[in-house]
Amino acid sequence: MKRFVYINDDEASKELSCDNRISNTKYTLWNFLPKNLWEQFSRFMNQYFLLIACLQLWSLITPVNPASTWGPLIFIFAVSASKEAWDDYHRFLSDKKANEKEVWIVKQGIKKHIQAQEIQVGNIVWLRENDEVPCDLVLLGTSDPQGVCYVETAALDGETDLKTRVIPSACVGIDLELLHRMKGVLECPVPDKDIRRFDANMRLFPPFIDNDVCSLTIKNTLLQSCYLRNTEWACGVSVYTGNQTKLGMSRGIAEPKLTAMDAMIDKLTGAIFVFQIVVVMVLGVAGNVWKDTEARKQWYVQYPEKAPWYELLVIPLRFELLCSIMIPISIKVSLDLVKGLYAKFIEWDVEMVDQETGTASYAANTAISEDLGQVEYILTDKTGTLTDNKMIFRRCCIGGTFYGNENGDALKDAHLLSAITSGSTDVIRFLTVMAICNTVIPVRGKAGDIVYKAQSQDEEALVIAAARLHMVFVGKNANFLEIRLNGSTIRYEVLEILEFTSDRKRMSVVVKDCQDGKIILLSKGADESILPYACAGQQTRTITEAVEHYAQLGLRTLCLAWRELEEDEYLEWSVKFKEASSVLVDREWRIAEVCQKLEHDLYILGVTAIEDRLQDGVPETIEILRKAGINFWMLTGDKQNTAIQIALSCNFISPEPKGQLLLIDGKTEEDVSRSLERVLLTMRTTTSEPKDVAFVIDGWALEIAVKHYRKDFVELAILSRTAICCRVTPSQKAQLVEILKSCDYRTLAIGDGGNDVRMIQQADIGVGISGREGLQAARAADYSIGRFRFLKRLILVHGRYSYNRTAFLSQYSFYKSLLICFIQIFFSFISGVSGTSLFNSVSLMAYNVFYTSVPVLVSVIDKDLSEASVMQHPQILFYCQAGRLLNPSTFAGWFGRSLFHAIVVFVITIHAYANEKSEMEELGMVALSGCIWLQAFVVAQETNSFTVLQHLSIWGNLVGFYVINFLFSAIPSSGMYTIMFRLCSQPCYWITMFLIVGAGMGPIFALKYYRYTYRPSKINILQQAERTGGPILTLGNIETQPRTTLEEEVSPLSIITQPKNRSPVYEPLLSDSPNATRRSFGPTGTPLEFFQSQSRLSSSSSGYSRNCKDN
Amino acid sequence: MSSNTASSSGGSGDSSAARKNSKRPKYSKFTQQELPACKPILTPGWVISTFLIVSVIFIPLGVISLFASQDVVEIVDRYDNDCIPAPARTNKVAFIQGDAPKACNRTLTVTKRMKQPIYVYYQLDNFYQNHRRYVKSRSDSQLRSPKFENQISACKPEDDAGGQPIVPCGLIAWSLFNDTYTLSRNNTPLAVNKKGIAWKSDKEHKFGNKVFPKNFQKGNLTGGATLNPDIPLSEQEDLIVWMRTAALPTFRKLYGKIETDLENGDTIQVTLQNNYNTYSFSGKKKLVLSTTSWLGGKNDFLGIAYLTVGGICFFLALAFTIMYLVKPRRLGDPSYLSWNRNPGGGR
Repeated sequence: MKRFVYINDDEASKELSCDNRISNTKYTLWNFLPKNLWEQFSRFMNQYFLLIACLQLWSLITPVNPASTWGPLIFIFAVSASKEAWDDYHRFLSDKKANEKEVWIVKQGIKKHIQAQEIQVGNIVWLRENDEVPCDLVLLGTSDPQGVCYVETAALDGETDLKTRVIPSACVGIDLELLHRMKGVLECPVPDKDIRRFDANMRLFPPFIDNDVCSLTIKNTLLQSCYLRNTEWACGVSVYTGNQTKLGMSRGIAEPKLTAMDAMIDKLTGAIFVFQIVVVMVLGVAGNVWKDTEARKQWYVQYPEKAPWYELLVIPLRFELLCSIMIPISIKVSLDLVKGLYAKFIEWDVEMVDQETGTASYAANTAISEDLGQVEYILTDKTGTLTDNKMIFRRCCIGGTFYGNENGDALKDAHLLSAITSGSTDVIRFLTVMAICNTVIPVRGKAGDIVYKAQSQDEEALVIAAARLHMVFVGKNANFLEIRLNGSTIRYEVLEILEFTSDRKRMSVVVKDCQDGKIILLSKGADESILPYACAGQQTRTITEAVEHYAQLGLRTLCLAWRELEEDEYLEWSVKFKEASSVLVDREWRIAEVCQKLEHDLYILGVTAIEDRLQDGVPETIEILRKAGINFWMLTGDKQNTAIQIALSCNFISPEPKGQLLLIDGKTEEDVSRSLERVLLTMRTTTSEPKDVAFVIDGWALEIAVKHYRKDFVELAILSRTAICCRVTPSQKAQLVEILKSCDYRTLAIGDGGNDVRMIQQADIGVGISGREGLQAARAADYSIGRFRFLKRLILVHGRYSYNRTAFLSQYSFYKSLLICFIQIFFSFISGVSGTSLFNSVSLMAYNVFYTSVPVLVSVIDKDLSEASVMQHPQILFYCQAGRLLNPSTFAGWFGRSLFHAIVVFVITIHAYANEKSEMEELGMVALSGCIWLQAFVVAQETNSFTVLQHLSIWGNLVGFYVINFLFSAIPSSGMYTIMFRLCSQPCYWITMFLIVGAGMGPIFALKYYRYTYRPSKINILQQAERTGGPILTLGNIETQPRTTLEEEVSPLSIITQPKNRSPVYEPLLSDSPNATRRSFGPTGTPLEFFQSQSRLSSSSSGYSRNCKDN
Repeated sequence: MSSNTASSSGGSGDSSAARKNSKRPKYSKFTQQELPACKPILTPGWVISTFLIVSVIFIPLGVISLFASQDVVEIVDRYDNDCIPAPARTNKVAFIQGDAPKACNRTLTVTKRMKQPIYVYYQLDNFYQNHRRYVKSRSDSQLRSPKFENQISACKPEDDAGGQPIVPCGLIAWSLFNDTYTLSRNNTPLAVNKKGIAWKSDKEHKFGNKVFPKNFQKGNLTGGATLNPDIPLSEQEDLIVWMRTAALPTFRKLYGKIETDLENGDTIQVTLQNNYNTYSFSGKKKLVLSTTSWLGGKNDFLGIAYLTVGGICFFLALAFTIMYLVKPRRLGDPSYLSWNRNPGGGR
């Protein structure tokens, strides 16, 4: 599919009829209500409550007042709808701001000022320096005579360096006036999201000179949201507008995220629903049978002989309504409430405040805190996320002399400074290479200072360092470079640039010293690509030693070399180089060959060492999180070497002896396939070895692998704990997230740039670092944090607590509703299966709303383990990851507990209040009080740490129950007038309560103690250790040695690679009983199979396949 | 349970709180989740002594409750079957619905001295006062005030008689129990006080003293007892007692009180009118004379339950003690943490 864009021709472009309006909103004013309602009702729970609420309108079957369901239902809906509306309104506002931005366009030769949203395809758009590009443009002209301009693409791909863009060859030399009246046609592909490719053709119409088709590439485009830099003006024709731009296409709509816990709760709700239906059917049938056999004889009931047709349905429906409280409507409200509080806790956490900038963490999405505790994969961006994104020149070795070894900063090394002032030849040459052997563009800032714009951060670091060492790269004018050394200006003419390629691993420049006319070759590159070409006789041993030494410190090294060229040698070579540059076939290889002819007999000047500063605490954070069983993938747009370098220095992968890097590369399908097969084979065989295996893949190979060998790649993804993906595009990042998600892993994506936005949105949890690369990532993310190291607190502390708390809260909510529901069911057997409610309306409504909700809400400040213990034993996170605290088996425990308690309450009540005491209202209140007492003790028993608030809410709630009921008992018109006073004055009532508590809690307490002491879960052990102050806290099996500087000897990751299983699931943990969970009550000795089938990976190779949904 | 208060570690918080920044979250123990907390753990000592204490409390309580129940003297006489003349027993329903005289004489013997007040109950078995159709079939507002005489919508099918609202309406009132008992001891009449058998609150607030029975038992079907239309509902204590519906299918309702002591060996003659139809659903009817204790009537359940629970707690305490002595386990032993073990011997 192609589209044709006619430059400057409104008529011809009309059919595309697409203006530049950006819209990120989800709703419009009109479809808000229906769409929002539809979305809300797509959740099963909401449908259920609506059905119940509707049924309650039928007074024949309703046991309670319909308002008791309608009120909360409407409230819940209103709250979530207004939240959605609010969010959408803000999206609308930010869209509007972007849409109404003023831009210059040219129409019929006249410059006009219009709003960005009015740009049509085919318009010529004018940009000034530092303008944001409003839509995707094809460059037509720039202020630069050679048609070059610079753009910053950070918002698009996250790379902060400036990129050069050139005008198409057809437009070269067109002067300004003509440009305005330019006509032509562009043949371009239909909109897509590939920001690396733009294969189009352009043909200009007469009077423009050539009528030939001119091919266009991405080099000729200015994409939306880039910034024009260092160029006075540029103009281009818009080809894609609005939501069809490359950025717009790659901007996915953020799906509302549902946590694994929510899904589990929904599942359990479904199960309870099925159970409820079964109960209703059984009771319904029983009720109808009883009615036809017994009730006909009960003359005082006066069942009519003739019944309406729906008579058969009445009893089942009554039971349906009676049992509808089995699914507590309060669970949604209380979950929303506590989730809001979890988010607040994250925002309030002073330990997650970036001390430098003072930014606190922010939770944009308040609904997914529990997922943080269940993360299995972390996909992280590199630049700006792991690193500070600041390269700093640290050390160097010039002519065998080490500088900067003492204080770790060569710039402050007195020896070096004195060497410079004394004008040591080697040092001066070294600095010259640092300053000019690069593609850096010096830009004069407003204040007269010089800012360097570089494609490579290393080059920038070198140039800056050279400037600090008095070798200032002042300016670049066409091919002339200006260097200032100690006040004198030196000019060089750049003759050739021998560009860097990943094969050559070096770059060189040939310059001519304008003072003495000497031609010099300056080279820099990796040691293995420079040292072999050293001139005969030079000792490279010290250089090699220096390189090794620096590499061990985690510094990035470059060797600098120098050679003076004879003029004829250069001229002779120059001819060959020109020839090679114009070759059409195998150009790159030919150039490399030619370059090599020049790059020999190099005089090695020395080695530079650059530190790509990791953020504080990154290695420890990664180490702790990996210990917690989380797998790390690094996705970066950066070069492979850099990525591996960083990965090594931040504990991501281990250096050679322990770790192993497997490379997947290749340009063609076969290459990639072979490479993938080989890596897979290695992976499979090494799974049993205690080796740290990671695979490295680049964007190109990844694309092929995912496209053609998805199955293999998925298998690889499952087998590999660590991966490094370099040179990947934003959409590939998102694709990787999606692959992991499709294997049912919980993913967390963390990044800081605009290029991470898609990945962040795609992942289960998106975390943005509010860093240097703007705030796009932070805005799109669910959580934004100031530094990478806060991630461990976010996951281990907040995620874990949230998970634990929600696990308790949700199961407890079901427990309490089931408790009262079971009592109703039991009661129906002694009330002629007619669907009588034992409890009155007021009690039923207040039970969920007041009596039982307050104590459990306070469980949001419960802490099972202290933060310090969790940090010391991150492995404990496994309980959350594997969903040990909320799953069908723990739920069965709670189910059993509520059944047991219901039996206790019911049996004791009907026997203690038999015969003359069996008054309906009294009996109901006795049973209800029994439930309230039991639930208070259950909450108390399940609380791990009692603060004042817990005591207040648990015991205060009990008092509150009596106060509320005394109030109701004082109202003469209420059904329970005087009941509570009568009860409380009877010794029998209190005796019954004690009995219920004793009989209900005794066995549960005993069981808990038994488990706690003789079958303790890891959590229990840590609790015991922590609270008895046992030796565990000083055990120190995790040496958390803060790496303040990189100078310390980097021990090759002995910590991470301490022998352990390679599988993401720790085997030993699996082997303890799944029933050793904290909050379960129920039959012991459920076999282990349940969990083993849940665990994703047994070390056998058959383990992974069943986990892949698409297998 | 032992407990130790967690000391809050707010070192980092203090230093950061010193710096002023509007974005900086406010530091408080609550927001940092560092409220001082008591963290109990289940040490064997605490658990065992808890169970011991519970059993020590429960067993005596059980004994006391059992004694209280044993103190109560109760005479139960089932008469539903015996009060049908032998020839009519083949078709009891026809007898009870017929016009034959239904008087019946019963003799009870007091086996133990009964102190006044002695309560006279009638007990019905298999009678579902808690049936949904039944329990909802009443109009509380109508009972309270003559103004709401017409609020009879809940009372179906006993709501009106020929278009006139029935007062009191509904199935409960309609099916009012109508057996009567006349007691005499050793051939001297024994007074049964029928005043004050209903709850005071019901008489004063639930049943109006200006509400008089109207159209009662005038419908096509006659249910139970009739009411004197000249006595306001608040004085109709039998009705008030009956309208306090029972939650269980077996229940006793107060008929009256005997305010003299009965001696051991006394014989009590009961002349009763066996009017109420429990035969169609094979329900039992019993006459009960009973004294009370502080716990209420004769009911061994609480005492037995207390003894059982206390016994189980004692047994558990014993079992845990033995387990503790035989197989002591150090709490919080780090060697139980699998990741501290050698992976080779992981299990």
